[in-house]
Amino acid sequence: METRRETGRAEIPLTTLREGETGVVTSIKAGRGGGWVRGWGFEKRLMDLGLTPGTKVTVVKSAPFHGPLEILVRGSRLALGRGMAERIFVEIEKE
Amino acid sequence: MTKRKLVIALAGNANVGKSVIFNYLTGLHQHIGNWPGKTVERAEGTLHFKGYTIDIIDLPGIYSLSTYSLEELISRKYIAVERPEVVINVVDASVLERNLFFTLQLIELETPMIIALNQMDIAKRKGIEIDTEKLEKLLGIPVIPTVAIKGIGIFQLLEKAVEIIEKGPMTKRVEVKYGEEVEEGIAKVTKMVEGLQFWYPPRYVAIKLLEGDEEIATEVSRIDPQIVSTAEKLANEIENLHGHSCSTVITSERYEVAGCIAREAQKLVSPIKPTMEERLHTLTTHKIIGYPIMAFSLLLMFYSIFTFGDYTSELLSNFFYGWEPLFASLFGTGIVGKLVWGGIVEGVIAGVTIALPYIVPFYVILYFLEDSGYLSRIAFLMDTAMHKIGLHGKAFIPVMLGYGCNVPACLGCRIMETERERLLAAFVTTLVPCAARTVIILGLVGQFMGIQWALMLYVIDLLIIFALGRLAFRTLPGEPTALIMEMHDYRLPHLKTVLKQTWFRLAEFIKIAFPLIIVGSLAIKLAEVFVLLELVATMLSPVTVVWLGLPAITGITLIFGVLRKELTLIMLATLLGTTNFSKVLTPDQMVVFTLMTMFYIPCIATIAALVREFGWKKALFITIFEIVFAISLGGVALRLLTLTPH
Repeated sequence: METRRETGRAEIPLTTLREGETGVVTSIKAGRGGGWVRGWGFEKRLMDLGLTPGTKVTVVKSAPFHGPLEILVRGSRLALGRGMAERIFVEIEKE
Repeated sequence: MTKRKLVIALAGNANVGKSVIFNYLTGLHQHIGNWPGKTVERAEGTLHFKGYTIDIIDLPGIYSLSTYSLEELISRKYIAVERPEVVINVVDASVLERNLFFTLQLIELETPMIIALNQMDIAKRKGIEIDTEKLEKLLGIPVIPTVAIKGIGIFQLLEKAVEIIEKGPMTKRVEVKYGEEVEEGIAKVTKMVEGLQFWYPPRYVAIKLLEGDEEIATEVSRIDPQIVSTAEKLANEIENLHGHSCSTVITSERYEVAGCIAREAQKLVSPIKPTMEERLHTLTTHKIIGYPIMAFSLLLMFYSIFTFGDYTSELLSNFFYGWEPLFASLFGTGIVGKLVWGGIVEGVIAGVTIALPYIVPFYVILYFLEDSGYLSRIAFLMDTAMHKIGLHGKAFIPVMLGYGCNVPACLGCRIMETERERLLAAFVTTLVPCAARTVIILGLVGQFMGIQWALMLYVIDLLIIFALGRLAFRTLPGEPTALIMEMHDYRLPHLKTVLKQTWFRLAEFIKIAFPLIIVGSLAIKLAEVFVLLELVATMLSPVTVVWLGLPAITGITLIFGVLRKELTLIMLATLLGTTNFSKVLTPDQMVVFTLMTMFYIPCIATIAALVREFGWKKALFITIFEIVFAISLGGVALRLLTLTPH
């Protein structure tokens, strides 16, 4: 089910956004081979919360000590563990 | 027409005010239990309206109707199989788009429904104006604006629900239309499943098969595996076309529809300055200031609970012990009298003097914090720390609860997403020193050795939690999950809902803990009456005396401590005939004894809670593990202490 098509655009993990920056979700890389993400459907959960490809995400802040991110998506405020946020890929919006 | 019984279900996202509406509708006629065989809560209530007897079911708060969590599966099955007459979809007006995503799934399930557009006040403060009539037209579903916390719109909601049941839906609903390729796929699969007798509508089954829904795929393949493989083939085609999995495509497109409706129905008038709630949020999740605020809030919380608890507990126990002469005159002071008083009545007193003074205020404050939104901020701040033991931020909530009482803490582990996480969190919470253990730490070590020693024991406790948590995290099969949590806007909690939640938790506690506490006291009293306790103390002496270096009598107190941990200290005073423990115990013995009471076994009520949540085997395993662990720890501690001069 892996679909990592190279689009030529700069895809960066959500965690590389600075506080206050907004990106557009390009993909969620769940990884293959039944890794930790398979068991509890984290990809689906993120989608259900509105993090579908093409959605704008704003990183509001990240907690210290490699903590979770606070993001705004579709008008709601979410806390996301960093390990998971690293698997969400975005491209930065051009003003 | 004849008046009859109706069933109305409340469904919606978490934190949208569903339980407040539920409370308004059902008042005192509520029953909270579990879904059969599941650890998911089921809240049910009845009310009478226009001659109908209406059952209200409050479904769990969920974001979707997929099957990735038990709550979602239960809700979906309930709606499809049990078919409530109408579903009231509670929608948070301040997060319209995401809430409508759920609404659209209900529409796809072809459920008769109306919408309670709740938290209109919060939306307004955030600068969101919603045209209710337009939303109603766009969806083809009645929309009732409500501010549940003030009771606004509740009556109209009920009226509309009954009207829909009596007259049927009056308008044609919106159809959730997907992209061309997806629609083609849906059409093909729908044709194949149309003939099947299934509790979900054919189009819904088709969509879910394309999304790769496991529950539905399993059910359908039992009837015709051909359909599932066709759906898989179609899904692969769509995936190749779009570059994303078919499930992603469908979810995106469904969100697109929700977004369109939301954009059309709402007008955003951005507030000029940030709201109070916004500023409070920034402050309480601040990188630096957030932590002292949290520490201060928690300390204040525990301080007030313990102050209130100590005072009330003493008051209650004085009151109850005032009845002793009466019982003595009724049952005499012989064996019967001893068993009735010492076995049964003291068991009840034990339960009451813990439950009421400590657990009630604890729950009130906890629910207050939860409803207001602060608990999710704490989880956000503590995520990193909890990751060290393989859990995520949400697990801090049961751990925090554990400092009050381990029983609600174990039950509170339900907020974790997977069974593995629940068990891990529960194991950790049993190691947290509860109020009873705090009494011993402060009353023995703190009192006779100085507060610095007591604090050191707390630090040791944290280290042990960390070490054992990590060990369990490595040993337990399965993969860790990560924090995904909504932080809803701060709001004023609804007092009645908070109190009601407290009441149900208290009832749950009593149901779990009381029978065992009473049976346990009776058993120990019997042993005492038949002079078996000394025998037990002697039998335990190789461990207590030889290995742990404690007086043999502590064997008895440790047995009593299984009922309630603070009994270890109370019994010690009784058996030794003094409360000046420095005369009868050396400092080393005090430390070892306190360490033992902290870890040697979960109390009987906690074991009961573990059994209820995880079954006998796991509860027994945790219990035995902790016994072995504490004994080893105590012996090692003793040897270390005797090595160091002090």
